[in-house]
Amino acid sequence: MMANALLSLKGINKSFGPIDVLHDINLDIRAGEVLCLLGDNGAGKSTVIRLLSGVHRPSSGVIEIDGQPVSFKSPRDASEAGIATVHQFGGTFPLMSIGRSFFVGVEPTKGIGLFKIFDRKRANAIAVQAVQSFGITRITDGDRLVGGLSGGERQALAIARAVHFGARVLILDEPTAALGVKQAAHVLRIVNEAKRRGLAVIFITHQVMHAMAVGDHFAVLIRGGIAADFRKGERTREEITDLMAGGETMAGLEAQIEAESA
Amino acid sequence: MKLNLKTVLATTALVMMTATASFAADIAVIGGSNDDAFWNKIKKGLDDATPAIVANGGSVNYLRLQNYDNFAPDVVQLIRTAISQDVDGIVIPNWVPEAEDPAIKDAIAAGITVILMNAGGADKAKELGAINYIGNEEYPAGVAGGDYFAKHGQKHVLCVNTLPGSTNTEDRCRGVADAMTAAGFKSEQLPLPTTSFGDPTAVAEAIKATLLKDTTIDGVITISAGDADSAATGIQQSGLTTVALASFDMNEAGLARIKAGTQSFAIDQQPYLQGFLATSLLASAIDFGTSLPTFPVLTGPGIVDASNIDATLVGVEKGAR
Amino acid sequence: MKLFSSLGGLLRRPEAGAFLGLFAVLIFFTVFGGLTFLKPAGIASWMNVAANLGVIAIPVGLLMIAGELDISVGAMVPLGAMTVAVISGHYGLSIWLGIAVALSFGVIVGLINGYMVIRTAVPSLIVTLGSLFAVQGIVLGLTVLITKSTSVALATEGSAKTIFGDFFFGGQVQVMVIWWLAITAAYIFFVHFSRFGNWIFAMGGDKISARNAGIPTERMTILLFVLSSTSAAFVGMCQAILYNSAQVAGGQSFIFNSIISVVVGGVLLTGGFGSIVGIFFGTLTFAIVTQGIYYTDFDRNWSSLIIGILLLLAVLMNNTFRKMALSYAPKKAVK
Repeated sequence: MMANALLSLKGINKSFGPIDVLHDINLDIRAGEVLCLLGDNGAGKSTVIRLLSGVHRPSSGVIEIDGQPVSFKSPRDASEAGIATVHQFGGTFPLMSIGRSFFVGVEPTKGIGLFKIFDRKRANAIAVQAVQSFGITRITDGDRLVGGLSGGERQALAIARAVHFGARVLILDEPTAALGVKQAAHVLRIVNEAKRRGLAVIFITHQVMHAMAVGDHFAVLIRGGIAADFRKGERTREEITDLMAGGETMAGLEAQIEAESA
Repeated sequence: MKLNLKTVLATTALVMMTATASFAADIAVIGGSNDDAFWNKIKKGLDDATPAIVANGGSVNYLRLQNYDNFAPDVVQLIRTAISQDVDGIVIPNWVPEAEDPAIKDAIAAGITVILMNAGGADKAKELGAINYIGNEEYPAGVAGGDYFAKHGQKHVLCVNTLPGSTNTEDRCRGVADAMTAAGFKSEQLPLPTTSFGDPTAVAEAIKATLLKDTTIDGVITISAGDADSAATGIQQSGLTTVALASFDMNEAGLARIKAGTQSFAIDQQPYLQGFLATSLLASAIDFGTSLPTFPVLTGPGIVDASNIDATLVGVEKGAR
Repeated sequence: MKLFSSLGGLLRRPEAGAFLGLFAVLIFFTVFGGLTFLKPAGIASWMNVAANLGVIAIPVGLLMIAGELDISVGAMVPLGAMTVAVISGHYGLSIWLGIAVALSFGVIVGLINGYMVIRTAVPSLIVTLGSLFAVQGIVLGLTVLITKSTSVALATEGSAKTIFGDFFFGGQVQVMVIWWLAITAAYIFFVHFSRFGNWIFAMGGDKISARNAGIPTERMTILLFVLSSTSAAFVGMCQAILYNSAQVAGGQSFIFNSIISVVVGGVLLTGGFGSIVGIFFGTLTFAIVTQGIYYTDFDRNWSSLIIGILLLLAVLMNNTFRKMALSYAPKKAVK
C-alpha cells in the first residue's frame, strides 16, 4: 500500500565512549512525505541528524538508501547521496550575495582554460528563479547579501539550494524555532512545496503546532529511543505534547508547577 | 701550606687571578654578548690591550652576557662573580643603575678599583667612586655633527629621527640644532611616526617630501646608519643632489657612500677605543698608580669622512670599527 | 530609475567606503598641503609607499577575508632582505640565487604557518605570532653569526636591479609600483572573477559549511599563507636591492600598516567580507595619509594623531556602508 522507503534506519545504536546516546532506532522515510522528529532537548534528535548527514557514524546498525546499505565517511558523502541538511539560520554565509552563496563550491563558470570566470549573471538568475519557485517572490536581485534577508527567506534560499542540487532527503533542523508566526508559516509552506516535489523531508521541531501542520509521519524520541511512531491523525495534539514532555502528561506538569508556586 | 705545582699549571687562569692579586692587575671586563656586533668591537679593543697587561704579569677576563633576556639580574650576577674572583679592577657598563649600583659599591668597598665604560656617565662615576667614565655622550656627538655641517657650508640641516621621544635620539638631534644655531644657521628635527619605522620606502619618501617642501634644507642627518640608506634614496629622488648627507653610527653601505662621495660624513662613538682605553687605563692605575686628569674620557664623537675613510675601512676589516 | 539603482549598488560594494575615504584624504591634503602634493614627485612619493605596502596588504587581506590573520609578515620582510643581502652581498654569489632563496624562504614559512593553522586548533594570530618571533630570531642569529654585523650591504647591477629595485619615470617611481599594479590586477581576477574567490569568501563566512560544500579549505588556507609570507619576502628582497643594504631590524611596521590598509579598505576583521579593489584604495589612503603629512605645515609631532584620526574616520565610514549593504532591500514602491 505504501511506497518503499527511500531512507531507512535499521537497528541503529550510537554511543560516545561509555555513554549510549541512541539505542535501536528504526525509522523509514518515504519520498513525498514529511517525517516529524519530535523530542525534548537531549533526547537524541541532533545525533540522528548527525548520523544522517555524515558527521558521525553509527556504532551498530545500518542506514539504507533505496534498500542499499550506505556508509558516510564525511558530510560530503551524505550530500552526494542526496541528503541535505539545513540548519536553523539557513544560509550560513551572511555576507555573500544570494547568487554566490547559492553556488558555493560548484560555481558556474564561463570562458576557457586559465581564464574561466565565475558566471555571475547566470548564478544570480538561477538562484533567484529557484527561490521564487518556492513562492518567495520578494527576492529579485541575486546581488543582495544573504545577511539582509529575513529568517524565512534564508530558509527558503537554503532549501531551494538543496533541491536545486538534487537533494532527495531534506533534513530541516528546527527551521521555525527562531521565527515569528508569519515567517514560520512561510517556512511551513516551503516544506509543503518540497514535499509536493517528491522530496523526503525530516522535520525536527519543538513546536507541535508546526509539526501537525505539515507532518505525515511522526516519531517521538525519549532518552535515545523511539517512544512512539505513528501516522497523521492517529494521535491528538495533547497526546503528542505529552509524549514530547517525556511521557509525563502536560496536565501533570502544570499541576506540579502550580503546587510549587502556591 | 705547600702548593702543588701541577695543580697550579692545570688551573692557570683561576689561580693567576687569586694568587697574584697583590703584584699585577687582574682585570674583569663586563660586556655584551658575542652576537652583538657593537660589543665585538669593544672586545677587539680590550683584546688589543691585553698583551701589555699580561706582559706586566696581569690578566684580563671578559665576562660577557650570554643574552639580554634577563638583563639586570644577569649583569649584577657578573659583577658579583668578578668580586668573588678577587680581581683588582673591574670595567663595568652601568646599564641599569638601580640594579647595579649596590653591587658596584660592594666592589669598591672590597678594595676593587672600578672604571665605568660605555654606559653611566661622569656624574655617576663620581657618585659611585669609580675612577673614571669612558664612553660616549649623545649630545656632544650631535654638536660635532652640527659643527661639521656649519664648517662645510650647510645652512639648514634636517635631523631625521625615526625614534622620536627616545632620550638618545633626541639628544643627538638637539646637539646638531644647538651647534647650527650657535654658528648662526638653522636645524630642525623631522620626527617620523612609528608607522614608518623599519620601512625604508616610507622613510625615504618622508625625507624627499620634506626636502621638496622646504628647498632651503641643504643638509640631512639620520639618527641611525640604516636610516641613512633610506635618506640617500630620498635625496636622490628629490633631485636636490647638493643636499649633504650624514649619519650617526655607520654601516658598510654608508662607508661605501662616503668612499664614493655621496655621503658627507658619519659620526662614530668608536667602541674599539672604549674597550682599549678602559682596560689599559684601569691596569696602569692599579699597577703604576697613574691617574688621568681627563674626566670623563669620551671616545666619541669620531668623524668619518673622505679624509679618513681608507683607514676606517681597514679598521672595519680588522673588526675594530 | 536605472541610474539610481546602479548608484545605490555602487555604494553597497565593500570598496565604496574606501573609495570615498581616499577621495576625502586627497582633498584634505590638497587643501592643507598645496599642489606640491599632487605634482609628479608628490604622487610618486605616496605611490611608492603604497606599492611596498600594497603587495603585502592584499594577501594579508585575503587571509582576513578567509577568517585568518598573518602577522609574521613583519619578520618576512627583513628575512627576504637579509637573505638576498647575505647570499648576493656578503658571499658575493649571483643575485638570482639570492632572489630565488629569499622567495623560497617565503614559501617555506608560509607552508609552515598554513600547516600549523590547519593541523592545530591554535588561532592563526598565535601561530603567526610564534613564527614572527621565530623568524626574527633566525634572521638576527644567523646574520650576526655569518656576517658579525646587523646590517649587510648589497650592490646590484644589471637586469635584476632594473626588474626588482630601481626607479623609472625620471627616477621617481619605484618598479615596485608596476609590480603592485600588475599583482593587484591578477588578484582582482583571481578573487572576483574566478571561482576561487567565492571559496575564500565562503571560508571566511563559515569554514565548516564551506568544507561541506566541497571547497578544499585546507589547501586554500595553506595557499593563502604561502602568498602572504612570500609577498612579504618579495618586498623585503626588492627593498634590499633598491637601498643597497639590509637591516636585521625593521619590517615590523608592515604588520599594523597592512592590517590598517585592509580594514580601511572595507574588509571585515572577522572575515567573509571585502574586496581587492577596496584593499587597493585602503592602501592608497593609508599611504596618502602617512606621506601627506610631510606636505603640510602641521607640526610633525602631531602626525601620529592626525594619522590615527583620519584612519578612524575611514573605518567608521566603512561600517556605515557595510550596514547599508546588509539592510538593503528593494523598495516595493520602486518596482
